[in-house]
Amino acid sequence: MKKTAAYDQKRRPIKKILNSLLPFVSITCLFLLWFYASNINPDLVPSPASTWERLIQLFVKPVNKMNLFGHVWASLQRVFIALACATVLGVTVGVMIGWSKTFKAIFGTLFELIRPIPPIAWLPIIIMWFGIGEFPKILIVFIGTFMPIVVNTYTGIRLVMPLHLDVARMFNASNRQLLFEVAIPSALPPIFAGIRNATSSGWMTVLAAEMIASKAGLGFLITRGMDYFDVPLILVGMLAIGIVGALLAIITEFIERLLCPWNKKLEQD
Amino acid sequence: MPNDDVKIKVRNLTKYFGDLHVLDNISFDVKKGEFLCVVGPTGCGKTTFLNLLTKLIPPTSGELYINDEPADPKIHNISFAFQEPSAFPWLTVEQNLEFGLKIKNIPKDVIKTRVERIIKLLGLEQFRKSYPHQLSVSSEQRIIIGRSFAMYPDLLLMDEPYGQMDIKMRYYLEDEVIKLWKEFGSTVIFITHNIEEAVYLAERILILSNKPSTIKKEVVVDLPRPRDFTDPKFVEIRKYVTELIKWW
Ligand SMILES: Nc1ncnc2c1ncn2[C@@H]1O[C@H](COP(=O)(O)OP(=O)(O)OP(=O)(O)O)[C@@H](O)[C@H]1O
Ligand SMILES: [Mg+2]
Repeated sequence: MKKTAAYDQKRRPIKKILNSLLPFVSITCLFLLWFYASNINPDLVPSPASTWERLIQLFVKPVNKMNLFGHVWASLQRVFIALACATVLGVTVGVMIGWSKTFKAIFGTLFELIRPIPPIAWLPIIIMWFGIGEFPKILIVFIGTFMPIVVNTYTGIRLVMPLHLDVARMFNASNRQLLFEVAIPSALPPIFAGIRNATSSGWMTVLAAEMIASKAGLGFLITRGMDYFDVPLILVGMLAIGIVGALLAIITEFIERLLCPWNKKLEQD
Repeated sequence: MPNDDVKIKVRNLTKYFGDLHVLDNISFDVKKGEFLCVVGPTGCGKTTFLNLLTKLIPPTSGELYINDEPADPKIHNISFAFQEPSAFPWLTVEQNLEFGLKIKNIPKDVIKTRVERIIKLLGLEQFRKSYPHQLSVSSEQRIIIGRSFAMYPDLLLMDEPYGQMDIKMRYYLEDEVIKLWKEFGSTVIFITHNIEEAVYLAERILILSNKPSTIKKEVVVDLPRPRDFTDPKFVEIRKYVTELIKWW
């Protein structure tokens, strides 16, 4: 036992350093590949340098009166509003379906039928109904974020350990206390996992919605780049999407850690 | 026939799980303030009996009375320390201990003093802000025991609570449960696999048979306390009970 630990300690630093270097290696490789490709056809694959230039230019000469941050914020705002509504409604609906057999009977099947329809498939009909203003875009994102939150909340409530409910029953807990003191707290980790999924799904959906009909946002920026054959602008948009998406994931995980400090899964790494 | 001395009355209690016949026509009384230990082979229905008493599951036939009323956790102040780890993972040690008191709407200051007392009693000071998964199995079990103690229950049910403990902690908690029992005059039903533990704690030991279980024997332990494991009388009773069980 001791021997292995000592052995591990000896070995670990080298392996650790190596592992922490590997991401940089892979990113460098990607850059090299990018350079290489941009040498072959700079029109279709602009070099990192000209992409960078385009990014700077975006601040000097905004597209549609907005610099990059403006567009990022436009997209984020839609996601945040939709996500907030979806969290409130989704958790409520999920808890009701998970807790009440009657609600499950009424909405369960209906929900299973609607759920497989991806949010993008709602686009045409929602544009036809509500036009191309701000509301329909938020509505689409709402649909994309609502579903994972409902499903995870529902599952979390269903999976409450009977033993935990028994403990509370034995203390003579009312039905209300069983729900609010046991079922909902115990379902918080899956609920947060649902919100995490919803955030990434909402981020994808908003871009799709913006690509169809919009005057602001990263999705708009990309379509604009396509319309004007401004490939560097497309790349700037894509990179921004990736970076913001990654930041969103980090932030949601941070919030999750803060609000569910007992969640073992989060502690493992 | 009301009887002030009887806390629990079990009459012709029978339980089937489907075809599985677990408890067979069991009848016995538990006196007010008695410390009763129940021993019996694995799977003979000890946990099932406690579940029946707390109405978590319904009996197939037979009756259970507490204070001459049908047993009901809504009326009776019962605490049940479950056999499986049942601490709430989303609550800290302190919050776990408060849980039952809060459910019963006990005043805040009372909760505070009781929880402080329990934390001290069980040596959980350094863990008060920890979550159960950060604790060892035996410390986690201490939360469950503390949660039951904190209710100052009228009727304390303990289902092999010390099975996971090291011997030092077990001896310590055995004395603690005795202390609590004496101080509050609770009636205690204590399930254990450990015959020495049963003889150390009990005023009376119920020995259950294999499934379908009946009461094989009742042994009254009237040794003075604190009891001594090496006392020849203690050893004699222990051997006698062991002889009666012999489920291995
Ligand atoms: N809910 C249930 N449904 C079906 N069978 C059950 C159920 N609960 C318990 N049993 C069965 O009833 C029998 C008695 O179970 P019980 O848990 O009461 O035993 P026990 O005496 O507490 O055992 P142990 O010493 O292992 O704790 C076992 O054979 C068990 O498999
Ligand atoms: Mg058991």
